[in-house]
Amino acid sequence: MDLSKRKNFYYIFSLVIVMIIAGRLVQLQLINPEKFDKDAERNSVKTIITTPARGLIFDRNGKLLVDNKPSYSVTIVKKEFDTNNIQVICSLLGMEESYLRSELKKIEGTNRFIPTRIQRDVDFRIISFIEENRELLKGIDYSIDPIRLYPTDFRGSHTIGYTKEISESMLKKQQGDYYKQGDLIGTTGLEAGYENYLRGEKGFEFILQDNKGREVGPLNDGKNDVKAISGYDLILSVDAEVQKFAEKLLEGRTGGIVAMDPTNGEIICMVSKPDYDLNNFSGKLKPEIWTALNTDKAKPLFNRATQTRYPPGSTYKMVSALASLQEGILKPNSTIPCEGSFRFGDKVFGDHGAFGSITIPTAIEHSSNVFFYKLVLRIGLDNWNKYGQMLGFGHKTGIDIPEETKGLLPSTEYYNKRYGPKGWTEGYVVSLGIGQGELGVSPLQMALYTAILSNSGTFNQPHLVRSLKNPVTGEITPVQYKKHEVAIDKDYFKIIQKGMYLVVNGNGTARSIRTSDVSIAGKTGTAQNPHGQDHSWFIAYAPADDPKIAICVMVENAGFGATVAAPIAQRIILRYLLGLQDESEVKDSFGER
Amino acid sequence: MQAKIFERFNFVVFLSAFALIAIGLVAIYSATFGNELVSGNFTKQLISACVGVVLVLAIMFTPPKYLSMSSYVIYGLVLILLIAVIVVGKKIKGQTSWFNVAGFGVQPSEFAKVATVMALAFFLSNKNKETDVTKLRDFMYAVAICLIPVALIMLQPDMGTTLVFLFLLLPVLYWAGMPNYIMFFIVAPAITAVCAFLGTWYFVAAVIFIIAMMMVFKKNILVSAIVVCIAIASGFSVNMIYSKLQPYQQKRIQSMFDPESDPLGAGYNVIQSKIAIGSGGLSGKGFLQGTQTQLKYIPEQWTDFIFCMVGEEFGFVGSIAVVLLFLILIWQTIHIAFICKNQFLSICCIGFATIFSFHILINLGMIMGIMPVIGIPLPFMSYGVSFLLSNLIMLGIILNAFRNRKEYV
Repeated sequence: MDLSKRKNFYYIFSLVIVMIIAGRLVQLQLINPEKFDKDAERNSVKTIITTPARGLIFDRNGKLLVDNKPSYSVTIVKKEFDTNNIQVICSLLGMEESYLRSELKKIEGTNRFIPTRIQRDVDFRIISFIEENRELLKGIDYSIDPIRLYPTDFRGSHTIGYTKEISESMLKKQQGDYYKQGDLIGTTGLEAGYENYLRGEKGFEFILQDNKGREVGPLNDGKNDVKAISGYDLILSVDAEVQKFAEKLLEGRTGGIVAMDPTNGEIICMVSKPDYDLNNFSGKLKPEIWTALNTDKAKPLFNRATQTRYPPGSTYKMVSALASLQEGILKPNSTIPCEGSFRFGDKVFGDHGAFGSITIPTAIEHSSNVFFYKLVLRIGLDNWNKYGQMLGFGHKTGIDIPEETKGLLPSTEYYNKRYGPKGWTEGYVVSLGIGQGELGVSPLQMALYTAILSNSGTFNQPHLVRSLKNPVTGEITPVQYKKHEVAIDKDYFKIIQKGMYLVVNGNGTARSIRTSDVSIAGKTGTAQNPHGQDHSWFIAYAPADDPKIAICVMVENAGFGATVAAPIAQRIILRYLLGLQDESEVKDSFGER
Repeated sequence: MQAKIFERFNFVVFLSAFALIAIGLVAIYSATFGNELVSGNFTKQLISACVGVVLVLAIMFTPPKYLSMSSYVIYGLVLILLIAVIVVGKKIKGQTSWFNVAGFGVQPSEFAKVATVMALAFFLSNKNKETDVTKLRDFMYAVAICLIPVALIMLQPDMGTTLVFLFLLLPVLYWAGMPNYIMFFIVAPAITAVCAFLGTWYFVAAVIFIIAMMMVFKKNILVSAIVVCIAIASGFSVNMIYSKLQPYQQKRIQSMFDPESDPLGAGYNVIQSKIAIGSGGLSGKGFLQGTQTQLKYIPEQWTDFIFCMVGEEFGFVGSIAVVLLFLILIWQTIHIAFICKNQFLSICCIGFATIFSFHILINLGMIMGIMPVIGIPLPFMSYGVSFLLSNLIMLGIILNAFRNRKEYV
């Protein structure tokens, strides 16, 4: 091997590298002095971030529910800020010095060169003070940020949700680096569920400054600038009028309402009470309000429509009925004798009446307990669980907001795990037959279940958003949702529907809400509550022969489903289908409580 | 007596390296001046340099036999460290490449560079087993020695360092006797890949060039055809892979080659560093007087961007001095590789010269905006205890090669 030749290759190769570098040094430092002198003088690039307007939110009729309005935020560029001014800034903004110091500490890396918000939604007087004292307050500036404006006369707190300044842990967890300290991010409800669409894309302007902080022109003639793009608008399936009406009906009570269109899964209204004022979250959220909301025993931040896990009581009886029919355990016209009480082992389970030998529709009409005690034992826990799952329980419904519970649907494994394989008996299953015991469902799940019962077995993913509107092109894109048929014969649903029709229109438990205006089918339920008054459930759909609305009303500590929850459901159905709205009448009907 | 010292000790290499370290220390002092959080970096680097002198001398006086015999052991240990760092390492800026040992961050991938060169050199110089790189099996072994650490470092992930490994393989193989035409076979697909990325006409030109070269080498027509086919395929696959990437990944690659398209991210530092160096002019603004650097426009300027300090505060005179010191160091190392009769040490020297060259090209090129934004530090100058010590280990082996240049074993 002739290394003496090869070594020249290495000499030349390294020489070429050094020449490239040296050549570039000559170019940068000697040949082109004019350009770089100028650049050196304009020795910093100021970055201006333009916040895009968040997408607007409209109801199904095009009514504007969530709008934006401009507000001022005070920003700080850490690199330019003189820490001697901390006291001045703090007294100006009314913040603790230690707070500002800790905020400053969090600004790291290249973020030190760009403005970081230190306070939102400040008074115009503060902005004019900053404007007048620009020379003294280096690094302090302000930006115009759109904040949320709610032009509606209802709350919709849990449905719409709020935005908050991004937390430190979320900043660290984010993929990429879109969000910066002080940015708003959708935290709950639709604001969170559609954050990526609503937020838009930030814009950037790059401006050269000289060493006195004076702007001397755009960087690279503005070619690097990026325009902010507004977020997508949401068009909801929610009907603002019905929402407002439902909120009014539930005012002063604790509970949740979900109404949906059984033909497509669109949510018509969703209410959780007590709620809170979204205006508190627009602009700067006062810490004392945040603390108050979090420590309030009534838990106003909790979405009772989607996050509660209460036993559904008798409203759950249709699950066992369908399971028994589909599994061939009961024939459509089979009867079970109901004696008024049921003895299992040494325990006696009661009922509110002796009904004799009855069929499924009659058992539903009168909400017989004994019927379903006996039935669930014949179905068995595994089948009971399987049909619960098919009808939407024990897992999330897939609604397009993040707050949702999957509830609790006990299975053999669950009991084995909880009590040990020998620690539980079939007696536990008996209570499940009438929807009591360790069974937890949300009003949303119940509304979906009602929808499936009413449309004879079609599962439509519940959702609040119909379509997204591109703010630039005006193009409207419908959002696609899941849909499937439940593996239960349609004929069996007819039997259930007959029972539910009789609940209202026969001699059933909710006959008090019968009305000639529209035929309603429904089912009452009362969830036993070991901590106080029972919770009141009512599920219903209407019109019974061609369902357009499926609804669940849950009112905490309100006793029997028929007395409180059912009238509320009836009013909402009438409001939605016929536009009837007589508030005084509604209030009167609850006078008995 | 004096003559004998020069006979055994290469002052040129030693002094140029320590001159670079000294300039680096001055620059680190300036870069961290007034920044409480990192003012300790200067001291740490100074201590490392002092410890380094002892390390350099110790390695220099080690019998070459011990160095070559321990190559595989060191290589094995480094691989274990690379695995361990992925499992228990500290995550800094999305990379898991650090251990924390008594307050010092230890970065195994830096030592892996040295260990891999040593292992390659030992494998290629193994006379008893008659290693022959022109045989496919031995060639694959050599590639494997290089690619195992690459795979582990990719998991951290640290792209800059993996590129160093890929880049050092070919010069080392060439020095070990790889024939010209095989070298060309290997390089050909890389050429077409890069050209295909640049544009269709570049790609066509590259293919014509490769066909022409195949005619020059006058190899078997089948072999030539296969080489051309592979080269073309690699050209096509590059664009196919690129089009399959997610938009954000494409954007990242784009901003690597065109940093100014992303002035808030990758481009930010480059825009600032170019202004810093350019504003230094002929003689610079003076020690601690750089407005760009003293105003801390450049984040973490004591690591990858250390050269900005030199460029701005010492101007063209200071910068070119640094570049010339590097050239002297690299040329001396190549010279030692040539005159050293011990093949293991000779290959080591070529490997180290390659590592230095690649680091300089990528680091200084990036800072001055003519190379993609790939974060690798500047040898002997950038702050980093592991990096400095690994450079000094290389220096020790180079001095050892000089000292024992007349002995075959």
